[in-house]
Amino acid sequence: MKLAPVPATLLFASAGVAGLLASHLVPLAALSLVLLAVCLRAPARRRRPYIYGAVATGLGIFLFSPFLAVEGYNFLWQGGPTLPVLGQLGVTTEELRTAALNGLRLMSLGLAFSAYALLVDHDRLVAAAGFAPRSAFAVALATRLVPSLERDAVGLSDAVRGRGVTVSGARGHAKLLSPLVAGSLERAVNLAEAMEARGFGRQARSHAPSPPWTSLDRVALAGGALLVVAGALWL
Amino acid sequence: MIARVEHLTFTYPGGGPPALSDVSLELAAGEVIALLGPSGSGKSTLLRTLAGLVPHFHGGSFAGRVAVAGLDTRTTRPAELAGRVATVFQDPEDQVVMARVANEVAFGLENLGTTPAEIWPRVDEALAAVDALHLRDRLTFELSGGELQRVCLASALALRPELILLDEPTSQLDPDGAERFLAAAEGLGSAVVLSEQRIDRALSLATRVLFVEGGRLLLDAQHDEACGWLAAHRPRYAPGAPECPPPQPAADTGSVLDLTGVSYAYSPGVLVLDEIDLEVRRGEVVVLEGPNGSGKTTLAKIIAGLLEPDSGRIERAGRVGLLLQDPGRYLVRESVLEEAALAVGGDRTRARAALSRVGLDAHGERHPRDLSSGERERLGLAAVAVAEPDLLILDEPTRGIDPDRKAAIAAWLEDYASGGRAVLVATHDRSFPAHRRVSLSREVLVAV
Repeated sequence: MKLAPVPATLLFASAGVAGLLASHLVPLAALSLVLLAVCLRAPARRRRPYIYGAVATGLGIFLFSPFLAVEGYNFLWQGGPTLPVLGQLGVTTEELRTAALNGLRLMSLGLAFSAYALLVDHDRLVAAAGFAPRSAFAVALATRLVPSLERDAVGLSDAVRGRGVTVSGARGHAKLLSPLVAGSLERAVNLAEAMEARGFGRQARSHAPSPPWTSLDRVALAGGALLVVAGALWL
Repeated sequence: MIARVEHLTFTYPGGGPPALSDVSLELAAGEVIALLGPSGSGKSTLLRTLAGLVPHFHGGSFAGRVAVAGLDTRTTRPAELAGRVATVFQDPEDQVVMARVANEVAFGLENLGTTPAEIWPRVDEALAAVDALHLRDRLTFELSGGELQRVCLASALALRPELILLDEPTSQLDPDGAERFLAAAEGLGSAVVLSEQRIDRALSLATRVLFVEGGRLLLDAQHDEACGWLAAHRPRYAPGAPECPPPQPAADTGSVLDLTGVSYAYSPGVLVLDEIDLEVRRGEVVVLEGPNGSGKTTLAKIIAGLLEPDSGRIERAGRVGLLLQDPGRYLVRESVLEEAALAVGGDRTRARAALSRVGLDAHGERHPRDLSSGERERLGLAAVAVAEPDLLILDEPTRGIDPDRKAAIAAWLEDYASGGRAVLVATHDRSFPAHRRVSLSREVLVAV
């Protein structure tokens, strides 16, 4: 069963906030696992970069922050060079716990955003906003144009490499920025023409009806509020 | 009468010759009209005029009168004409607004203020009419070019317009996909004006034919009379027109490319290429055929070294150059001459020679994006060929081009290969002349 865009967005936002507020490892890990399971409902090719990004960020925090933090006295390991500001490197159980907590917080926040990006119907979400329709369209178009921009960037790079010219380093890629912008401006002009031809800008625009909220939508909304409270008080 | 054009003359801003000169015609309900003519002849401008986009969106100098559904296009904005007229443009990427297919088809209906209760049933009906109902909940940016083009047609169809304007809508489709698309267009029930470079198919659908050249309407006749005129005056556009002549036999001076057992997958378990063997010899023009999604572009990129195969062996005897699809979109320098000189380290002498070979020597100081689409394509070809690669690969070079230009490209490539180099053309154009054709299916590479 599908959630309507507004309750789904509020639920994922609540999950992200609850994750940030939580201060116990086990419920935080459980929240992350639930969000991961939700993200796995998206098609494999789309979900991969989101999930990798969220998990890698959390793991990165867990792996590196103990070396940078100075907390606690129960050393599990101490050694290596003495660094300026940080002193001698060491890892304590307190640092590990804090790193795990922060890593899980970031991971749950990343997974909540991933679930929103992967599973919510953004077109209908912005339409449901009911105000500032032109701004809502700008958001919808931005969502639509990002993948086009990615494809154009790859195409430009491939076109130049196909001529036997090497594109390497930040400087090489920076030279493709200007044609990329020029190409996206051309695309924007074409899109504006197509939108005008399809009646955009006429008075008395209507909206495709959204299905009425189900009891599941209401439960999701209540669950979202409960999650935030639970995250602040108990998790 | 759905539309009437009276003595229309139009010039785009910036001067130059008129894009349309003294054009007059009338369109009646139910007609299917094939709009033929060379690239740059004014076909797209005529379609934009009927949609009201000329002059409202483009500006320029407009003389004469165009009335669509009784509304004068000079005083009626294109958005007000929408619903009576619907347009499907050439590149679907440039006309899709929404992220999901159903929302995309609903977009036009919402703009027209359609009663909310009617919107979803009409979306489903339009998607079903073009055999795309299964795409309803997909994301638009994940669709193939062919799928997206059908969604664009559904978006037009959902409006139930009196007049549908189709501007080379099948240029991204393989022959089977184009056949399905045009069959769907045929059954719309509205008047249809179809600008198309797949001439045989367009003529087989049309009840009436328009031929535009140099901005002038040279022919406006019913189907049978038009076919006679085309055979007499523009034989490359006539039904069953003679194909480009086959190239002269190639002098074999050794192999330039040898692929053995090449496989590639974009994601684990989904093979795009499976154990491909292919040899290309100097002097040859080889056509690599296959439907959309069969891996032609992937193989071209692997041969050019842009992708590394998962397995297999590649031997290249010399340099390889690759011209991607739609080269006009991928120009990176500030002048035509600089663009052509990029691959030869800025050598302007060689760049001028390359530009001369494609007829662009007079445009060296212009900005590449100021060129017409046909000129941009030729610049793309010059920018790759300037380095005289031993193997020149072209990916869909005939996409959306007219028969005369296709013949010119074929002759140019034959001449290029005859100089001891080789050409590999990845295309779904079954009539492109070649010494040898290989067909790339999902399973096997077959010589044909």
